[in-house]
Amino acid sequence: MTDDSLDRLIRDADPYRPAVGNRLDGAAEELLEEIMSDRPVRTIPTRRRLLVPLLGAAAAAALVGVVALTGTDPAPTGAQPGGTTSVTYSALALRAAEENPRLLIDEPGWTATYVSGFAEKEGSIRWSKQGREIEFNWRPAQYYDSYHQDRASVSAAEPVTVAGRGGELYTYSANDFGVMLPPRGKFFVELRGGGSWTRAAFGETLTHVVQVGVEQWLAALPPEVVTPDRIDARATEVLAGVPLPPGFDRASLADLGTNDTYQFGAQVAARVGCGWIAEWERATKAGDAAATTRAADALRGSHGWKFLNDMNAAGDYPEVFWEIADQVVAGSVPPQYRDSLGC
Amino acid sequence: MISEDRFRRIYTANFDPLLAYAIRRVEQPEDAADVVAETFLVVWRRRRDVPPDDEVRLWLYGVARRVLANHHRGGARRERLGDRLRQRLRAVAPADPGTEVPRRLVLRSALARLGELDREVLMLTFWEGLEPREIAAVLGLSAPTARARLSRARRRLRELVGHDLGPPGHELDVMTGRPTKEGR
Repeated sequence: MTDDSLDRLIRDADPYRPAVGNRLDGAAEELLEEIMSDRPVRTIPTRRRLLVPLLGAAAAAALVGVVALTGTDPAPTGAQPGGTTSVTYSALALRAAEENPRLLIDEPGWTATYVSGFAEKEGSIRWSKQGREIEFNWRPAQYYDSYHQDRASVSAAEPVTVAGRGGELYTYSANDFGVMLPPRGKFFVELRGGGSWTRAAFGETLTHVVQVGVEQWLAALPPEVVTPDRIDARATEVLAGVPLPPGFDRASLADLGTNDTYQFGAQVAARVGCGWIAEWERATKAGDAAATTRAADALRGSHGWKFLNDMNAAGDYPEVFWEIADQVVAGSVPPQYRDSLGC
Repeated sequence: MISEDRFRRIYTANFDPLLAYAIRRVEQPEDAADVVAETFLVVWRRRRDVPPDDEVRLWLYGVARRVLANHHRGGARRERLGDRLRQRLRAVAPADPGTEVPRRLVLRSALARLGELDREVLMLTFWEGLEPREIAAVLGLSAPTARARLSRARRRLRELVGHDLGPPGHELDVMTGRPTKEGR
């Protein structure tokens, strides 16, 4: 047998038939969405894609507050960083913070540049300083084994101590490191460097990571972050001049947890927008012309909502919102609008 | 970190090749769903580490190779991902030996008797269409080693196939004289 004939024989024995790929009826796309729903920050999974793009730079510019915890000048319990005003936190804020790992970097200069997801059992906060970042991600404890198994193939685990707890450091590259802390309570925490680190610098920074109390944690968040205590005030700003759909429950915004302004705005917009689209569908079906017009006017007017316009530089959510609103106003409700808006 | 749009592009561009890769290496086609799902999940979770576009395909094969090793070790499915893909594969890609041309079965049987690395080098060459230098990247070998391995694997397979299909130059000559028929 010649090489050529053997090669042909092997090629011909290929068990894969390309036609299979054409008969999956959307299963590939469905899997993609499933995978992308697995995320360290899970506000509303299918909408995350819209929230993230461009967020980094813009949010970094917006969140100018600095974590004022330092070794020599810790923020007093219950006080705003750098201020003297005593703050009383609501039970809701305290409970949300209880659910949080409350890890801070006890070193001057670290700024929170991304905050989201505190309302659920997972979330993310990214601290930045001079081109380097550390992101703290916390996830439900039930996923620890899965993630741990995954990280085990990154590199050998190196034991480290973070905030008084034993963890494992993984080396992604000579300047990229991550740490897993085993579950405590309902969640586990992962730390991941961003930017260019050295092992020594990363290790040194890890020694400054501390776990703090609930009030100290809340006080350390920059004022731009919408904590549960700030939801009401921020909602008032966001909703100024925004017509609210029938049945809109403003009090329910309290369950949004802690978010940066972009994430908060997107979630408020979702509730308002979804409410108006539902009302438009109801009214149209019922033949209620006046209500249909009212809903369409509200959606059309979304182009002028200040908070959406303010968000537009930071991400794609407003554009998607307006695109969907315009389609509804034109008489057709996009089938995927719930996923797109995060209804 | 790669953008989510880039992840989507990578997924879309590589789904079919990765599905093919997986189907070629599992016993039941539907098991390929687990391999594909797990591989892309790993990529998603490590999207900071994804190499430049021209290296992505080979890198994906490397990830899939580790996922497969776990699959073959009986590693439990870690996530309930890809259920629908599994259902579709069960429906559209049945492994029915009765429909297969016998010499394909003979060839696959011979492949199965090769050492794992020999088999993989052959499959990557003829089924994934990779060059030895690319195979070297996927398997973590040097390019000369990959070339040598390919040559040896070919020789060993020839011995096995020749033995199973009768004297070389007899039946095989007939087969290779009408290759176009195989595509029907």
